[in-house]
Amino acid sequence: MAEPTPTITFLMNDKELTVPKGMTVMEAAAKNGVYIPHFCWHPGLSIAGVCRFCMVKVEGRPKLEIACNLTPSPGMKVYTQIPEVKEAHKWALEFHLINHPLDCPICDQAGECKLQDFYMEVGKYKSQMERPKVLKPKALAIGDDLVLDTERCILCDRCVRFEGEVTKTGALGIFNRGDRAIVGTYPDRKITHNYQTNLVDICPVGAFTSKDFRFKQRVWFLKEQPAICPGCSTGCHVNVHGKPEVRTYFRVKPRESAVNGHWMCDKGRHTYKHLNQEVRLRFGIVSDGVKGSPRRRASFDEAIAALATKLASVDAAKDLALLVSPQYTNEEYKAFFEFFVKKLGVKKVFQWREPTEKIDEFDGLLYRGDHNPNTKGLSDALKAVGLSGDVKNGFGELAKGGNKLVIALAPEVAFQYPSLTAQLTSLSELDYVSLWTLNGDVFGMKGIAHAIPMKGYTEKKGTFLNYQGKVGELFAPFPSAVDDARDVTETVAALADVLTRAH
Amino acid sequence: MGVIKVALPPNDTNLFTMAWGYLSTISSGMKKTLQIFFVQITGREKTNTLEWPEEPATYGERFKGKHFLTRREDGQVRCTACFLCATACPAQCIHIEAGEHPTNEVEKFPVRFEIDILRCVFCGFCEEACPVDAIRLGPEFAMVGGPGEKWVYTKDYLADRQELRGGVTSVKEENDKHFTTDKNPRGDDLIASDAPHMHSH
Repeated sequence: MAEPTPTITFLMNDKELTVPKGMTVMEAAAKNGVYIPHFCWHPGLSIAGVCRFCMVKVEGRPKLEIACNLTPSPGMKVYTQIPEVKEAHKWALEFHLINHPLDCPICDQAGECKLQDFYMEVGKYKSQMERPKVLKPKALAIGDDLVLDTERCILCDRCVRFEGEVTKTGALGIFNRGDRAIVGTYPDRKITHNYQTNLVDICPVGAFTSKDFRFKQRVWFLKEQPAICPGCSTGCHVNVHGKPEVRTYFRVKPRESAVNGHWMCDKGRHTYKHLNQEVRLRFGIVSDGVKGSPRRRASFDEAIAALATKLASVDAAKDLALLVSPQYTNEEYKAFFEFFVKKLGVKKVFQWREPTEKIDEFDGLLYRGDHNPNTKGLSDALKAVGLSGDVKNGFGELAKGGNKLVIALAPEVAFQYPSLTAQLTSLSELDYVSLWTLNGDVFGMKGIAHAIPMKGYTEKKGTFLNYQGKVGELFAPFPSAVDDARDVTETVAALADVLTRAH
Repeated sequence: MGVIKVALPPNDTNLFTMAWGYLSTISSGMKKTLQIFFVQITGREKTNTLEWPEEPATYGERFKGKHFLTRREDGQVRCTACFLCATACPAQCIHIEAGEHPTNEVEKFPVRFEIDILRCVFCGFCEEACPVDAIRLGPEFAMVGGPGEKWVYTKDYLADRQELRGGVTSVKEENDKHFTTDKNPRGDDLIASDAPHMHSH
């Protein structure tokens, strides 16, 4: 039997708390829903204690103490809300703001900036400084996706610790002293790794901004929605920020979970771009089924009717092949295979994968070589209907031809498929392809005889299985950016409905 | 319970007395009309009526009419595209698209700044929300357009229309920072920024 972890009981704001020994007051407060204002403390990083903002009163001690580096002793009485503490916050904030440029109108952080929040909470004073502010370099392109503004920096040290502890690249440091201290890179070095945008997230002010998001939108217009990143098989928990009313998404941020901690990679941050209406397939495509015949736009219902007609004219067991990419949810696979494999008796099921992928690659932090969120889920779904669940690219086998009808579930995150254009071209040379996709480019491909617009991962409910077999849930969908888009489950249901009514 | 007393019609209903009442009123009215008519037609007194729109009509400086965007002393539009006016606007008629400025003088500027003037309610919240005195409501009240008019005022129109006679310059007395065109203040080519806006220091 495991030794029970020793605990300590102390009082916070006259309420008794029992926490594991060694836990700091800050962590205990965060765990018990007491908010202590802070800049430099971050749950995913080590303790620095440089911002001097998380002041709390400990009874019996003459001066205030910082909560982030204070481990409670039994019976200690800690106060976080008394006037003395609030006064300390107020003046600590004034120190931080002495040389802060107040760039709020042009700063992307405005709206989610800790300085703004605390100023509204405890500040609201008029500055007592008569000297002009110290000016420092601005808008430095220190990374591929980063812009650094050293003037806005409050020297909380979070980015330096992130570089040292999480990515272990150590590219950043704090140079000079006093009010000339600036954060920056070492000479002739630049941040190039795949986790740069985390610096933007952990920066409590607007010193780091993301080039990708820079000036695109003010954050208070954005709505946030929990989702699972479809960029690789790690399945990071993320929040997608968008404006559903204009059918546009703007950024992806990590959501704390056991899978990804507090971080996510930069590749995953680009997984919002294929969801915007302007790049999506906004309608179905139908044609009369003869090679080279003219195609036209169709509503979802027309597209389903056309597919049902085609489906009725072929022998499903012999002439129909399915091509499935591992980027759909378990629920969709279940509905899809139940209908096509169990009910219609389709024998030929292939997996659509990227031929150049290196599945076992792993960068040691989060990003994996398998660029599909649900490889495991697809294998399980295939096994459940009695087929081989081996991870194998069946694209070449299918492209040999011999099938009168191919139904293909195209990959959603196109930028993770460098060969996608070539693959679509080879698909368009087949007899009759029904492509279920989000990708708006397929309308330009003359050979694609039939297409149905699909919903993106932010627009449907369902689950992904990550590389460990852990379930990641999509549970709060945004309205779809494309009116005619459906998920696979809905499409299969509509198709089954049309076929039953026809017979 | 009150009693309402209704006056009876006069007993001596007489055509002449009734007509006299009307005629006397009309003649005294016509007398005043004709008097003013002759005074004004002979030019002895100035009329208050304007031959608008040939003759310009102006309201006071503080009238909240058609918007305009102010300029800095160097001629750039002062707006920094902070979106506060668009946030404050109750009619949601302001559409801004922000971008990096091509020159070194400013960091962020509005690539597009449009006011859908038919939705505007002229409340003046945009003027109040603006932290840099970039948008004001001017004294122009007349907004005229043909059937093909789009009624969307673009950035160029708002900053530099004919009525503004070359634009309005807003001078902020403090916090106007000084800039340098040096793109590489740290002397480090690798991180030299394509983005503008470097301080001299």
